[in-house]
Amino acid sequence: MGMFSSINTAASGLTAQRLRQDVISNNIANANTTRTSEGGPFRRSRVILRPRTEGPTWKSPFIPQPLDNGVGQGVRVTEVQKDMDSELRMVYDPTHPDAIQSGPRAGYVEYPNVNVVTEMVDMIDASRAYEANVAVVNGARQMFQRALEIGR
Amino acid sequence: MFNTSGFGRQIDILQRTMDTSMLRQNVIANNIANANTPNFKRQDVNFESRLAYALQTERQEPRFQEALTNERHIPFHETLDYRDVRPRRVTDFATTAKNNGNNVDIEVESMNQLNNQLAYQMMTRSVADAFQRVNLVLR
Repeated sequence: MGMFSSINTAASGLTAQRLRQDVISNNIANANTTRTSEGGPFRRSRVILRPRTEGPTWKSPFIPQPLDNGVGQGVRVTEVQKDMDSELRMVYDPTHPDAIQSGPRAGYVEYPNVNVVTEMVDMIDASRAYEANVAVVNGARQMFQRALEIGR
Repeated sequence: MFNTSGFGRQIDILQRTMDTSMLRQNVIANNIANANTPNFKRQDVNFESRLAYALQTERQEPRFQEALTNERHIPFHETLDYRDVRPRRVTDFATTAKNNGNNVDIEVESMNQLNNQLAYQMMTRSVADAFQRVNLVLR
Protein backbone atom coordinates (compact mmCIF):
# COMPACT_ATOMS: atom_id res chain seq x y z
CA MET A 1 0.00 0.00 0.00
CA GLY A 2 1.69 3.15 -1.16
CA MET A 3 1.17 6.48 0.50
CA PHE A 4 -0.96 8.03 -2.21
CA SER A 5 -2.60 4.85 -3.46
CA SER A 6 -6.11 6.05 -2.64
CA ILE A 7 -5.56 9.04 -4.92
CA ASN A 8 -4.21 6.73 -7.66
CA THR A 9 -7.21 4.44 -7.26
CA ALA A 10 -9.63 7.35 -7.58
CA ALA A 11 -7.64 8.63 -10.57
CA SER A 12 -8.15 5.29 -12.34
CA GLY A 13 -11.89 5.74 -11.77
CA LEU A 14 -11.70 9.28 -13.19
CA THR A 15 -9.93 8.01 -16.33
CA ALA A 16 -12.48 5.23 -16.84
CA GLN A 17 -15.49 7.51 -16.39
CA ARG A 18 -14.04 10.14 -18.72
CA LEU A 19 -13.48 7.48 -21.37
CA ARG A 20 -17.09 6.35 -20.92
CA GLN A 21 -18.19 9.95 -21.39
CA ASP A 22 -16.11 10.16 -24.61
CA VAL A 23 -17.59 6.93 -25.95
CA ILE A 24 -21.13 8.08 -25.14
CA SER A 25 -20.62 11.42 -26.88
CA ASN A 26 -19.28 9.55 -29.93
CA ASN A 27 -22.37 7.34 -29.90
CA ILE A 28 -24.72 10.32 -29.74
CA ALA A 29 -22.78 12.19 -32.42
CA ASN A 30 -23.11 9.18 -34.73
CA ALA A 31 -26.76 8.48 -33.93
CA ASN A 32 -27.69 8.87 -37.62
CA THR A 33 -24.53 7.65 -39.38
CA THR A 34 -25.47 5.10 -42.05
CA ARG A 35 -22.10 4.65 -43.71
CA THR A 36 -18.86 3.45 -42.07
CA SER A 37 -15.50 2.23 -43.40
CA GLU A 38 -16.21 -1.36 -42.32
CA GLY A 39 -19.56 -1.25 -44.14
CA GLY A 40 -23.09 -0.98 -42.78
CA PRO A 41 -24.34 1.58 -40.30
CA PHE A 42 -22.52 2.79 -37.22
CA ARG A 43 -22.78 0.47 -34.20
CA ARG A 44 -22.84 1.90 -30.72
CA SER A 45 -19.72 1.27 -28.61
CA ARG A 46 -19.67 0.22 -25.00
CA VAL A 47 -16.89 0.29 -22.43
CA ILE A 48 -15.97 -2.94 -20.63
CA LEU A 49 -14.57 -2.33 -17.16
CA ARG A 50 -12.59 -4.71 -14.92
CA PRO A 51 -11.03 -4.28 -11.48
CA ARG A 52 -7.28 -3.66 -11.81
CA THR A 53 -6.49 -6.40 -9.30
CA GLU A 54 -8.80 -9.34 -9.59
CA GLY A 55 -10.10 -10.69 -6.31
CA PRO A 56 -10.80 -14.42 -6.22
CA THR A 57 -14.41 -15.56 -6.35
CA TRP A 58 -14.79 -16.67 -2.78
CA LYS A 59 -18.10 -17.36 -1.10
CA SER A 60 -17.11 -15.95 2.26
CA PRO A 61 -16.52 -12.42 3.51
CA PHE A 62 -13.00 -13.33 4.63
CA ILE A 63 -10.55 -14.16 1.86
CA PRO A 64 -7.75 -16.48 3.06
CA GLN A 65 -4.32 -14.85 3.17
CA PRO A 66 -2.65 -16.77 0.26
CA LEU A 67 -5.51 -15.95 -2.12
CA ASP A 68 -5.73 -12.30 -1.15
CA ASN A 69 -4.48 -9.88 -3.79
CA GLY A 70 -4.46 -6.98 -1.35
CA VAL A 71 -6.50 -3.80 -1.48
CA GLY A 72 -7.80 -3.16 -4.98
CA GLN A 73 -5.85 -0.80 -7.21
CA GLY A 74 -8.87 0.68 -8.95
CA VAL A 75 -10.50 0.05 -12.28
CA ARG A 76 -9.21 -0.51 -15.80
CA VAL A 77 -10.85 -0.48 -19.21
CA THR A 78 -10.34 -3.83 -20.93
CA GLU A 79 -11.87 -2.87 -24.24
CA VAL A 80 -14.24 -0.59 -26.07
CA GLN A 81 -16.59 -3.07 -27.68
CA LYS A 82 -18.95 -2.62 -30.62
CA ASP A 83 -22.51 -3.54 -29.68
CA MET A 84 -23.51 -6.07 -32.37
CA ASP A 85 -26.32 -7.60 -30.26
CA SER A 86 -29.02 -4.97 -30.18
CA GLU A 87 -31.15 -4.45 -33.28
CA LEU A 88 -30.63 -1.67 -35.80
CA ARG A 89 -33.27 0.98 -36.26
CA MET A 90 -35.10 0.46 -39.59
CA VAL A 91 -36.51 3.54 -41.33
CA TYR A 92 -38.47 3.38 -44.60
CA ASP A 93 -36.86 5.80 -47.04
CA PRO A 94 -36.47 4.36 -50.59
CA THR A 95 -34.77 7.49 -51.95
CA HIS A 96 -31.90 7.26 -49.43
CA PRO A 97 -28.63 6.22 -51.14
CA ASP A 98 -28.01 3.55 -48.44
CA ALA A 99 -31.49 2.03 -48.70
CA ILE A 100 -31.66 -1.77 -49.09
CA GLN A 101 -32.22 -2.50 -52.78
CA SER A 102 -33.74 -6.00 -52.79
CA GLY A 103 -35.29 -8.62 -50.54
CA PRO A 104 -38.15 -8.34 -48.08
CA ARG A 105 -36.62 -5.21 -46.53
CA ALA A 106 -36.24 -3.29 -49.78
CA GLY A 107 -36.61 0.44 -49.30
CA TYR A 108 -35.60 0.40 -45.66
CA VAL A 109 -32.49 2.19 -44.37
CA GLU A 110 -30.52 0.68 -41.49
CA TYR A 111 -29.83 3.34 -38.87
CA PRO A 112 -27.42 2.82 -35.95
CA ASN A 113 -28.57 0.97 -32.84
CA VAL A 114 -28.00 4.09 -30.76
CA ASN A 115 -30.83 4.78 -28.35
CA VAL A 116 -30.46 8.40 -27.27
CA VAL A 117 -32.36 7.79 -24.00
CA THR A 118 -29.99 4.97 -23.02
CA GLU A 119 -27.02 7.14 -23.89
CA MET A 120 -28.32 10.03 -21.80
CA VAL A 121 -28.89 7.76 -18.80
CA ASP A 122 -25.37 6.32 -19.20
CA MET A 123 -24.00 9.84 -19.48
CA ILE A 124 -25.61 10.91 -16.20
CA ASP A 125 -24.31 7.73 -14.58
CA ALA A 126 -20.79 8.40 -15.84
CA SER A 127 -20.77 12.03 -14.71
CA ARG A 128 -22.11 11.15 -11.25
CA ALA A 129 -19.48 8.43 -10.88
CA TYR A 130 -16.85 10.96 -11.97
CA GLU A 131 -18.05 13.36 -9.25
CA ALA A 132 -17.85 10.61 -6.63
CA ASN A 133 -14.24 9.92 -7.63
CA VAL A 134 -13.43 13.63 -7.41
CA ALA A 135 -14.89 13.63 -3.90
CA VAL A 136 -12.59 10.74 -2.96
CA VAL A 137 -9.55 12.60 -4.31
CA ASN A 138 -10.47 15.70 -2.30
CA GLY A 139 -11.10 13.64 0.82
CA ALA A 140 -7.78 11.82 0.56
CA ARG A 141 -5.98 15.10 -0.04
CA GLN A 142 -7.53 16.62 3.06
CA MET A 143 -6.51 13.58 5.09
CA PHE A 144 -2.89 13.89 3.98
CA GLN A 145 -2.95 17.59 4.81
CA ARG A 146 -4.27 16.89 8.29
CA ALA A 147 -1.55 14.30 8.82
CA LEU A 148 1.07 16.93 7.92
CA GLU A 149 -0.45 19.31 10.47
CA ILE A 150 0.09 16.97 13.43
CA GLY A 151 3.43 18.43 14.43
CA ARG A 152 2.39 22.07 14.18
CA MET B 1 10.02 4.69 24.08
CA PHE B 2 6.80 5.50 25.93
CA ASN B 3 5.08 2.22 25.18
CA THR B 4 4.27 1.37 28.77
CA SER B 5 3.03 4.79 29.86
CA GLY B 6 -0.47 6.09 29.34
CA PHE B 7 0.79 8.65 26.85
CA GLY B 8 2.55 6.10 24.65
CA ARG B 9 -0.44 3.86 24.74
CA GLN B 10 -2.78 6.65 23.71
CA ILE B 11 -0.51 7.62 20.80
CA ASP B 12 -0.15 3.96 19.81
CA ILE B 13 -3.90 3.35 19.71
CA LEU B 14 -4.48 6.58 17.78
CA GLN B 15 -1.77 5.64 15.30
CA ARG B 16 -3.29 2.22 14.71
CA THR B 17 -6.72 3.71 14.21
CA MET B 18 -5.32 6.28 11.77
CA ASP B 19 -3.60 3.50 9.81
CA THR B 20 -6.92 1.71 9.60
CA SER B 21 -8.56 4.92 8.47
CA MET B 22 -6.05 5.22 5.62
CA LEU B 23 -6.68 1.60 4.65
CA ARG B 24 -10.41 2.26 4.70
CA GLN B 25 -9.91 5.31 2.47
CA ASN B 26 -8.12 3.03 -0.01
CA VAL B 27 -10.88 0.44 0.11
CA ILE B 28 -13.59 3.10 -0.38
CA ALA B 29 -11.63 4.63 -3.29
CA ASN B 30 -11.48 1.19 -4.89
CA ASN B 31 -15.21 0.64 -4.33
CA ILE B 32 -16.10 3.97 -5.93
CA ALA B 33 -13.66 3.46 -8.84
CA ASN B 34 -15.35 0.12 -9.52
CA ALA B 35 -18.89 1.49 -9.17
CA ASN B 36 -19.70 0.41 -12.75
CA THR B 37 -17.66 -2.81 -12.98
CA PRO B 38 -19.84 -5.89 -13.53
CA ASN B 39 -19.75 -8.52 -10.76
CA PHE B 40 -17.58 -6.36 -8.52
CA LYS B 41 -18.35 -6.80 -4.81
CA ARG B 42 -17.69 -3.99 -2.36
CA GLN B 43 -15.23 -4.37 0.49
CA ASP B 44 -15.19 -2.99 3.99
CA VAL B 45 -12.72 -2.82 6.87
CA ASN B 46 -13.46 -4.28 10.32
CA PHE B 47 -11.36 -2.90 13.11
CA GLU B 48 -12.97 -0.51 15.60
CA SER B 49 -15.46 -2.91 17.17
CA ARG B 50 -12.72 -5.49 17.73
CA LEU B 51 -10.42 -2.83 19.19
CA ALA B 52 -13.17 -1.65 21.54
CA TYR B 53 -13.73 -5.24 22.64
CA ALA B 54 -10.01 -5.79 23.30
CA LEU B 55 -9.78 -2.59 25.34
CA GLN B 56 -12.85 -3.61 27.29
CA THR B 57 -11.40 -7.00 28.19
CA GLU B 58 -8.30 -5.25 29.54
CA ARG B 59 -10.40 -3.12 31.84
CA GLN B 60 -12.83 -5.78 33.00
CA GLU B 61 -12.10 -7.78 36.12
CA PRO B 62 -13.18 -11.43 36.03
CA ARG B 63 -16.50 -11.56 37.81
CA PHE B 64 -16.32 -15.22 38.60
CA GLN B 65 -13.19 -17.16 39.45
CA GLU B 66 -13.32 -20.45 37.58
CA ALA B 67 -11.46 -23.58 38.67
CA LEU B 68 -9.05 -24.53 35.89
CA THR B 69 -7.83 -28.02 36.69
CA ASN B 70 -6.77 -28.98 33.19
CA GLU B 71 -4.70 -26.97 30.74
CA ARG B 72 -7.33 -27.51 28.07
CA HIS B 73 -10.06 -25.84 30.12
CA ILE B 74 -11.32 -22.69 28.50
CA PRO B 75 -11.18 -19.67 30.82
CA PHE B 76 -14.30 -17.49 31.07
CA HIS B 77 -12.40 -14.28 30.89
CA GLU B 78 -9.65 -13.81 28.38
CA THR B 79 -7.68 -10.59 28.21
CA LEU B 80 -6.97 -9.56 24.64
CA ASP B 81 -4.00 -7.37 23.81
CA TYR B 82 -5.14 -4.47 21.63
CA ARG B 83 -1.85 -4.76 19.70
CA ASP B 84 -2.99 -8.13 18.35
CA VAL B 85 -6.05 -6.58 16.73
CA ARG B 86 -5.45 -6.17 13.00
CA PRO B 87 -7.72 -4.41 10.52
CA ARG B 88 -9.57 -6.98 8.49
CA ARG B 89 -10.89 -6.49 4.99
CA VAL B 90 -14.20 -8.19 4.36
CA THR B 91 -16.04 -8.60 1.07
CA ASP B 92 -19.78 -8.07 1.01
CA PHE B 93 -20.37 -10.96 -1.39
CA ALA B 94 -23.97 -11.79 -0.54
CA THR B 95 -25.87 -8.71 -1.73
CA THR B 96 -26.59 -7.40 -5.21
CA ALA B 97 -27.72 -3.84 -5.79
CA LYS B 98 -27.65 -3.60 -9.58
CA ASN B 99 -28.48 -5.90 -12.48
CA ASN B 100 -24.80 -6.42 -13.35
CA GLY B 101 -24.00 -8.15 -10.06
CA ASN B 102 -22.33 -5.05 -8.64
CA ASN B 103 -23.28 -3.97 -5.11
CA VAL B 104 -21.57 -0.57 -4.83
CA ASP B 105 -23.94 2.20 -3.79
CA ILE B 106 -22.20 5.49 -4.60
CA GLU B 107 -24.21 7.44 -2.01
CA VAL B 108 -23.35 5.00 0.79
CA GLU B 109 -19.69 4.95 -0.23
CA SER B 110 -19.53 8.76 -0.34
CA MET B 111 -21.04 8.95 3.13
CA ASN B 112 -18.55 6.35 4.41
CA GLN B 113 -15.77 8.33 2.80
CA LEU B 114 -16.91 11.54 4.54
CA ASN B 115 -17.26 9.74 7.88
CA ASN B 116 -13.82 8.28 7.49
CA GLN B 117 -12.31 11.63 6.57
CA LEU B 118 -13.83 13.37 9.58
CA ALA B 119 -12.78 10.54 11.90
CA TYR B 120 -9.23 10.88 10.57
CA GLN B 121 -9.32 14.65 11.19
CA MET B 122 -10.50 14.02 14.72
CA MET B 123 -7.68 11.57 15.36
CA THR B 124 -5.01 13.90 13.96
CA ARG B 125 -6.37 16.60 16.28
CA SER B 126 -6.16 14.19 19.21
CA VAL B 127 -2.54 13.32 18.42
CA ALA B 128 -1.64 16.99 18.03
CA ASP B 129 -3.35 17.84 21.33
CA ALA B 130 -1.57 15.01 23.13
CA PHE B 131 1.80 16.30 21.95
CA GLN B 132 0.81 19.84 22.84
CA ARG B 133 0.07 18.79 26.41
CA VAL B 134 3.54 17.24 26.66
CA ASN B 135 5.04 20.44 25.27
CA LEU B 136 3.22 22.44 27.91
CA VAL B 137 4.79 20.32 30.64
CA LEU B 138 8.27 20.51 29.13
CA ARG B 139 8.22 24.26 28.75
